[in-house]
Amino acid sequence: MKNFLITLGVALAACAVAFGVFYAINDQPALRLAARDGDAMAWLRAEFRLSDAQFADVKKLHDDYSVRCGEHCAAIMAAKQRVAPAAEIAALEKTCVEAMTGHFDRVAALLPPGEGARYLAMVLPRITDFDHNGAPTVQVRP
Amino acid sequence: MNASDPDHLLTRTLAEWHVSPPPNPRFRAAVWARLEAARSAPTWAGYIGAHAVPVAGALAIAVMVGGLIGRGQARARVAAERATMVNSYVQALDARTMRMP
Repeated sequence: MKNFLITLGVALAACAVAFGVFYAINDQPALRLAARDGDAMAWLRAEFRLSDAQFADVKKLHDDYSVRCGEHCAAIMAAKQRVAPAAEIAALEKTCVEAMTGHFDRVAALLPPGEGARYLAMVLPRITDFDHNGAPTVQVRP
Repeated sequence: MNASDPDHLLTRTLAEWHVSPPPNPRFRAAVWARLEAARSAPTWAGYIGAHAVPVAGALAIAVMVGGLIGRGQARARVAAERATMVNSYVQALDARTMRMP
């Protein structure tokens, strides 16, 4: 009985160790850190394993795009404030979507081979899934 | 001290009280038998050797179950965090979701 209990304890310990090892192997601490800080650029860098040069290029693209994004945002908000016709707001939003899609294509082109397609597969469905939910809280420019 | 004092009576009774249990003729044999049993009980290493196949199977299953659960938990957590980050990332670049200050 005593030997059986010792064996049971060893099996449980082995189970716990295997859990820890496989958890650590499959974990992505950099991604978790970026998620905790809500830092989208850090997430992008960790997720797609960007080199310093690639990251700098992507960051510059984002910085440039954020200016255009701000202009689109201002135009949409102004149209909504003056209660513009729905067609006008829809046209502004269409322009926004096209600009965003173009931006994502340019970012994808800067990513390592194979990662661009994965990036687009992640982000493009989110554009179409847009549901007018609140304002973003993430840092795009750290 | 009065002889009829209950304390005195108790003391005297206890002083005169002798326990005479019947001797167990198998006492020594029983002690030796227990000693022999303890000496011949298999050690854990011996137990493992005698049950190598089931013990190895149990350990393999324990490692597999622990590994699968650990892998699943880590992947689920990473997937959830990734989904949150992608949503936040896209929303942060989406003028339609922004609000003027």
